[in-house]
Amino acid sequence: MASPAVAPAPGPVLASEHPLGPAFANKFKPARARQIIAEVLRSKLTGAAYNADNTSTWTREIADEIKQKLKSEDWPRYKFAVQVFIGEQRGEGCRMACRCFWDSETDSYAFESFKNESIFCTAAAFASYIY
Amino acid sequence: MEQGANVDEVGFAPDDVSNIIKESIDSVLQNQQYSEQKVSQWTSACLEGCMKRLTSLNKPYKYVVTCIIMQKTGAGLHTAASCYWDNTTDGSRTVRWENKTMYCITTVFGLAL
Repeated sequence: MASPAVAPAPGPVLASEHPLGPAFANKFKPARARQIIAEVLRSKLTGAAYNADNTSTWTREIADEIKQKLKSEDWPRYKFAVQVFIGEQRGEGCRMACRCFWDSETDSYAFESFKNESIFCTAAAFASYIY
Repeated sequence: MEQGANVDEVGFAPDDVSNIIKESIDSVLQNQQYSEQKVSQWTSACLEGCMKRLTSLNKPYKYVVTCIIMQKTGAGLHTAASCYWDNTTDGSRTVRWENKTMYCITTVFGLAL
């Protein structure tokens, strides 16, 4: 009678089988994200004039479109938060800033602004890796 | 975590976060008039205060806080956020604050680990 086949003992688990972060190819690239945001802003807002009724919708559409485009890039296991501000250009002072409490090895953000005579727009995208 | 931690204490608590944001803005901007020179200091102070309080909640979260301060001239400002995340654990909170001379809009995104 043949002895039952014995499964080989599992070897040591290599770190490369259980990576703690994304491979470089799958890492969020701020420069690329910035390009995406700039494209969306340019296509949506070129020639746009401020209008209190429409602008809310624009902010939502722009935020959604940027998010969709980020999702279609090859950045798996990333969470995205996209925030868009559109303001009326009336010579007022305005300042935006952000602080992030995260893993700077894997997480990053990109932002881009757009301006014309009637409006200014700033969009920021934050990407956070799920381990 | 020994003192009977329950699920509510672990998740993103929107009301706590709202209070934290309000406190941070109040402590920085109360009784201030818009000033071009000071505004960058204020955004920083506001964000730092907010982040300090958020991290002291000791929750397994990553946080992103954004703050925008705009002078009041009758101009409109609109904002929207769109997120791709786990709805059950992650959340965001936006607080609008204003006085006679400026608006301050602060948003916190909480991303669970």
